Amino acid sequence: MSKTQIKEKEENETPMVKVYIMGSSHEVPASLTIMKAIEYAGFKIKRGAGCRAGFCGACATVYRKAGDYRIYAALACQTQVEDGMVLTQLPFVPAPKAKYDINKLSPTGNTILQFYPEVARCLSCNACSKVCPQDIHVMDYVQYSLQGQIKKAAEESFDCVQCGLCTIRCPAEIPQYHVATLVRRLHGKYEMKSPDTLEARVEEIEAGFYEEGFNELMKLSKDELRHKYFHERDFIDQKKA
Amino acid sequence: MVRYSYFPGCNLKTNAKGFEETAIAVSKKLSAELVEIPNWNCCGTVHTLSTDNMMRRIAPVRVLSRSRKHIDTLDEETPNEVVTLCSMCNSTLKIVNDEVKHDHDKLEKVNYQLEEDDEIYKEDMEVKHFLEILRDKIGFENIAKNVVNPLKGLKISPYYGCMLLHPDKAAIDDVEMPSVLEYLVESLGAEVVDSPFFKLCCGSYQIVDEDRIVDSQVTKIVEAARKRGANALVVACPLCAYNIDHQQKILKEKVPGKLPLPVFYFTQLMALALGVPLKLNHFEDHHINPKPLLKELGLSGGKK
Amino acid sequence: MSFEYIKFGKEEKDFIEKIEEISGQNVYSCYQCGKCSAGCAFSSYMDKTVNQLIHLIQVGQKERVLAANTHWVCASCLTCSVRCPREIDVAALMEAVREYQLREEPEKVKISNIPKEVLDKLPNIALVSNFRKKTE
Repeated sequence: MSKTQIKEKEENETPMVKVYIMGSSHEVPASLTIMKAIEYAGFKIKRGAGCRAGFCGACATVYRKAGDYRIYAALACQTQVEDGMVLTQLPFVPAPKAKYDINKLSPTGNTILQFYPEVARCLSCNACSKVCPQDIHVMDYVQYSLQGQIKKAAEESFDCVQCGLCTIRCPAEIPQYHVATLVRRLHGKYEMKSPDTLEARVEEIEAGFYEEGFNELMKLSKDELRHKYFHERDFIDQKKA
Repeated sequence: MVRYSYFPGCNLKTNAKGFEETAIAVSKKLSAELVEIPNWNCCGTVHTLSTDNMMRRIAPVRVLSRSRKHIDTLDEETPNEVVTLCSMCNSTLKIVNDEVKHDHDKLEKVNYQLEEDDEIYKEDMEVKHFLEILRDKIGFENIAKNVVNPLKGLKISPYYGCMLLHPDKAAIDDVEMPSVLEYLVESLGAEVVDSPFFKLCCGSYQIVDEDRIVDSQVTKIVEAARKRGANALVVACPLCAYNIDHQQKILKEKVPGKLPLPVFYFTQLMALALGVPLKLNHFEDHHINPKPLLKELGLSGGKK
Repeated sequence: MSFEYIKFGKEEKDFIEKIEEISGQNVYSCYQCGKCSAGCAFSSYMDKTVNQLIHLIQVGQKERVLAANTHWVCASCLTCSVRCPREIDVAALMEAVREYQLREEPEKVKISNIPKEVLDKLPNIALVSNFRKKTE
């Protein structure tokens, strides 16, 4: 069958929807995600695509629906198309991160204000939370950061994928996801207890516990490595270690 | 024990920890427990004086709405009131509450924003400063009865600052001749020292970029109190406390010789008098250390 | 005695109207008793006192009003408003002049220029209130 015939056959059988990409309309299969639909329509996504699994935050998409004044936002790889969507992608969110040395800071509200003083401009309008594709209560964690409640802010912002949609919508011009990164780093470094198992393992490594095993591995030829990988699956002789 | 929905305000977890912790401890002793709203947001500190800026009215109305939801989780005796410790929060919340109750156009516009968060405000809240609760619900006689450690020797000059009494609709007492702090101080066994500058503005937010203004205000306020024999000041606002406390330290370095006056929050005085553990006062956060004065007067005993 | 002729045309009237719209106050209620300036804690820092600024607004002198420092020195303590015998919310007039300027130039205080040492010790209540009044 020729290429055009195959496509026709598909279009007759699969339910299609009409979406608008960069202003022009395209018919795409209804079951696709926004990202796949954009590619189906013939575009190649150079920025605005990453892990395709809802974790990297690269595919932030803003859209409206026909006949609806409201603004919606989503991650393109995680959201199914709907009829009448008017789409645009955000290839980049301009929000330079403050430079700091995490080793020289203390976990207080004033630390946040030092690097992101615009946090004090928060109006509690909640535009950020409404646009978050991860359903995070963004305004709440910004408020907790302002109040110096580092632990609560870190916990609330945990699911953030740094897509930047909150920053684009904020009338007070706060870079929420950068604030969240600083908060989580402060919490993790200064407030959370380090797991004993991690500390023990680091000590083992520094004591040279695994040196011999690694040296053995490095001496093997490609064939020997392949054999070990597929047939043995035991990199270090447990009895020796 | 009546429980009140308590709104801390942004400073009460950082610079003014002593204010909050003593207030909560004291409130429990007086059967009027302050219970914090679990997910509160900053009220904005100052209220907008413009008629058309709706964005800046969202924050205070959201506080009222969240407090109302919080009250539903407390017991039946809890009144529909949000209690604040900070004077700025008191003024802002009271004024915005009044505005939206009288101007339904404003309320509607703000509720459009809150509707999507399921937090619309139904005009069913009142705002109270903790001093109002102490004066009107508990009564100074009751407070005096609970005093175990009368604050003899402390000569306190009450400093109201502007936001407890301004504007008229937010005032918790007579605008030009208030008395609530005086009665409170006396009920704790301390002496009151009147000063004509009891509400001369400390400079407020000018501390950020025009601190020379704050310097001169603080000098006037402290001098007037010192001249009349005071050995300490009592305040109800974390910004006043910071301005007067911190700038005295700066001024002390510039003009050595004049003894600075320590600044107490009214709940810290109550904590000392009612026998609450000393560490809740967090005197280590103060820039002018009040401990030497307290030691001199034999008042740093704490819990008996 | 010296006189100055001023223009009072559409531009001046538009300015007064805008100030009245933002503040919700009738600027012509003021009869220049001076009580606001007398009670103002910061008069000594102002190049035009509060009542002088209001008079300039009454005659629509936009450039002179915006060039004064009165409304920036103002700390919104509201003493003027509670004392005005004509019940004008004087502080609202000051805020209207601030808003008029901020809606053109949104940053009176340049947040990025505040030194880190200052940000490290100031209580957040000071920053929040300062940014509310001096930025848009």
